Amino acid sequence: MRLVVILSLATALSLAFAADQATLERGQKEEGRACLPCHSLRLIHSQRLSRAAWNKELDKMTGWGTKIQDRDALLEYLVANFGDDKPVAPPAMTVDGSAKKQ
Amino acid sequence: MTPNRRELFGTMLAFAAASRLRGADDGVVIPGKRPMILHNDRPEDLETPLQYFDTYLTRVDSFFVRQHIPRPAPIDRAAYRLKITGMVSKPVELSLDDLRKLPQFTVTATLECTGNGRGFYTPKVPGIQWGRGAVGNADWRGPKMGDVLKLAGVDPKATYLEIDGADQGVASTPDFVRSMPMQKVMHPATLLALSMNGETPDIHGFPARLIVPGWDGTSWVKWVTRLTPTAEMSKGFFMNPGYRFPKYALPPGAPAKPAELEVIEGMPVKSTITAPADQAKLAMGALTIRGFAWAGENSIERVEVSTDGGSKWREASMPSPKLPFAWRLWQLDWRPSAPGYYTILSRATDSAGRVQPFVPVWNPSGYLWNGIDRVGVTVEAA
Repeated sequence: MRLVVILSLATALSLAFAADQATLERGQKEEGRACLPCHSLRLIHSQRLSRAAWNKELDKMTGWGTKIQDRDALLEYLVANFGDDKPVAPPAMTVDGSAKKQ
Repeated sequence: MTPNRRELFGTMLAFAAASRLRGADDGVVIPGKRPMILHNDRPEDLETPLQYFDTYLTRVDSFFVRQHIPRPAPIDRAAYRLKITGMVSKPVELSLDDLRKLPQFTVTATLECTGNGRGFYTPKVPGIQWGRGAVGNADWRGPKMGDVLKLAGVDPKATYLEIDGADQGVASTPDFVRSMPMQKVMHPATLLALSMNGETPDIHGFPARLIVPGWDGTSWVKWVTRLTPTAEMSKGFFMNPGYRFPKYALPPGAPAKPAELEVIEGMPVKSTITAPADQAKLAMGALTIRGFAWAGENSIERVEVSTDGGSKWREASMPSPKLPFAWRLWQLDWRPSAPGYYTILSRATDSAGRVQPFVPVWNPSGYLWNGIDRVGVTVEAA
């Protein structure tokens, strides 16, 4: 009996896990499609926002002309990766370009 | 236990995805710039690392960059034209030579992004997560805006000036257009700069960039191509709701009340510690604590430094002149009496008596951070 419970739990867990993973992957794909044409992803990945704040950003960007097709997945992906409970990553540095003419 | 494990799995997945993404476009080179803190590479949003702030004038190759929309292709200097339209007696198109023929003035002024320090606000707000380095001090040179506008004859009934640059929004992103009260436009220190520290870098808005000493960076429109005197403030996104500050302070995290948001004019008093670096390990002995301080249209009266978390304060010396618009460098010699961890604070006071606060006013867009600056250092026995 106990084994059955554990197995069921494990199956449920892996299903939920798979569903989450599929959504996150769809969200990531949507990010590339809907956001990248106008700006690099670094602008997104440096944010740490609540679900409500991410939702508002998606509204703002929709108003600014991006056509988001898979909005739910994109939102899940943003919250899962760049939610306000996630640690802030140190920013990257550019490579020295001072010798190059701008 | 199960939900926790799920959360853990989720976090691991998210972390793995984030790591892959962070690595995806590393190795960014910005021509003309030393290694900068990279917040965004398209369009470029670059922050100056604190260790570069070792001079009164910030070098062009280390000056921060902030762009809302993609910057225009480099402007052909011979083909450049500035249009003055709207409430004028004689609409004109001016060439760079026309602008160079006007009397030229140099103003030393500190340019700070309105969102400098946004990353310090809690709860977090959307926008570039600037630390301390979206600020710089330069010599800006060009004709006075008043002299430029005189060439078109401004209608005395015009109370605002609309300023547009050559950059344009992508998709339906609004164009970056600003509107400024004519009184500030006509201030003798408000210039249409044709150079910055003697250079004319495209990335900083040349051949012609607006200089609005003492006001936030958003007012300093780059690649200026059109000036239009108007009877009232224009209503574009970057005037409303963009770049507004709550008239009455909100509880942190509360939504803005649109009717109570005001256009930002001017900047608060602020100081930044540039050395020693935060979390540095220092050997016992003589040390110098350094930084800069600025106060919008006012000048800096004094900077006080504490090495014990704010219990006792000492006044720093200021080797640079007391001027409106420009920052003052400050420094304090310090010899720790014992090894251990020290919390160093800096607090500026300006000529109008404004004092840098412990807790800046949280606001939904994260503007105007000016909290007392703080670094921690460990002093080790020699």
